[in-house]
Amino acid sequence: MSDVAVREQRIQWPEAGVSRVPFEIYTDEPLYEGEQDLLFKGPIWNFVGVDVEVPAIGDFKTNFVGDTPVVVVKSSADTYSAFVNRCAHRGSTLCYEKTGNRDAFTCVYHNWSYDLEGNLKTVAFHKGVRGKGGLPDDFRTCDHNLQKLRVQELCGLLFVSFDEAAPDLETFLGPKMVAHIRRIFSKKVRILGTFSQYMHNNWKLYMENVKDSYHASLLHTFFTTFKLNRLSMQGGLVLEGDGGHHISYSKMATDSGSGTDYESGSLRAQNDEFALHDDRILKSWPEFEDGITHAIQGIFPNLIVQQIQNSLALRLLIPRGVNGCELVWIMFGFESDTQEQTDIRVALSNLVGPAGLVSMEDGVIGSFVQRAIVGNQGRETVLEMGGRSVESQESRVSEASVRGFWQTYRKYMGL
Amino acid sequence: MSWLNVARLSDLSPEYPAACSVQGHRLAVYLVDGAVYATSNICTHQFALLSDGYQENGEIECPLHQGRFDIRSGKALCSPLSVDLATYEVDVRGDEVWVHIPDAGH
Repeated sequence: MSDVAVREQRIQWPEAGVSRVPFEIYTDEPLYEGEQDLLFKGPIWNFVGVDVEVPAIGDFKTNFVGDTPVVVVKSSADTYSAFVNRCAHRGSTLCYEKTGNRDAFTCVYHNWSYDLEGNLKTVAFHKGVRGKGGLPDDFRTCDHNLQKLRVQELCGLLFVSFDEAAPDLETFLGPKMVAHIRRIFSKKVRILGTFSQYMHNNWKLYMENVKDSYHASLLHTFFTTFKLNRLSMQGGLVLEGDGGHHISYSKMATDSGSGTDYESGSLRAQNDEFALHDDRILKSWPEFEDGITHAIQGIFPNLIVQQIQNSLALRLLIPRGVNGCELVWIMFGFESDTQEQTDIRVALSNLVGPAGLVSMEDGVIGSFVQRAIVGNQGRETVLEMGGRSVESQESRVSEASVRGFWQTYRKYMGL
Repeated sequence: MSWLNVARLSDLSPEYPAACSVQGHRLAVYLVDGAVYATSNICTHQFALLSDGYQENGEIECPLHQGRFDIRSGKALCSPLSVDLATYEVDVRGDEVWVHIPDAGH
């Protein structure tokens, strides 16, 4: 017997490379299990929360890395700790609340108690009762701490990693991604609200959708009709490193839609019969000096930083089995916002979320794929918009960042 | 009557406290170096009976979180304790252990 787990390689990547993706990638159960170990617990950084969610010592937030439950806690004035949300004794969930404050984490099952860094401090009845029972003399509490994760922070965004081999956070993100995060998170964040939605598709279908700048004005009637985001605006794709992270951006003031499919009225997503009775929902102000009005940043594997006009959000995608996923939205502004600016951000947030005027289509399109690829194994998706390679491009009529996602995915998964 | 007969001296052990319940008061009664002491039997941190705890060197360790109290003074000696334990005056009359409960009234 080998003591090394041998994972059977069931999926063969097409010879065409990242311009093809086998449909089994969204339906294969063993692959899903492999993703938990090789990807989410691999040498990467996973977003778990924002510093303002846990401002005081003892403040904690529960979240997930892949589908593994974790706790992140402010453990001292300048330290954050994170650990798997699972008692080291019998594996019970340690922390049931989404957020809260604790001076220690105590398991409800047998009262084992851990400090804010996840160290086992006390074991109930460790000496038994009246000299009978209890733990053996050679039991050492320090051998039974919670499973700890590394924590690193950038501009108040907290990331964790299971893997000692993960490079430091900024190296993992790369300079272009770090610069974009610094651009958005330049001031103290104020969270306006959070919500989540369940989607009936494999998590990777949603990440592809996020990275697919080609679809936005074709699928989303609202974007195109109200001229918020059209491919005829100046914009582009910025890819980082091997293509896992991307930014898709556009500048609304630069629309040159004349002479395109937008003007000829041939696009399903353009419906000039639609109008708004109250257009205050689309009020915005120029917030960033670079003129960019729409920027979607995808951080590999499952974080999105959103700027849609003045609607700012973090989205974390949690895999929920091979056929489902949950998207957690954190809508935010800044402490320095005026009330009018906050009102604009809140009004614009009608565009996003599970019933968002734009995002509702993204919430369902993955399940359109998921239900159609059942029983169609051995076939594959086609990704040739903007060529077959992975690089930054001037045009968003491109699937380059989707190919970039797969190039990076294959690297971690050994596919 | 605020003095109550709570235990027999011959029943006490220096190894662990005796649990006594009198008129709604839950007491732990200890034998330390031949002398008898009484405290509340309920830990001041969370609900746990100190009579289920571990007695050593004049201290009682709570079974739940291993907080330790000085048996003689009731003083809380370590985290997670922050509140001292109530102690009671004891009078040994022959084999009878009497404890003074201030609010036992009458």
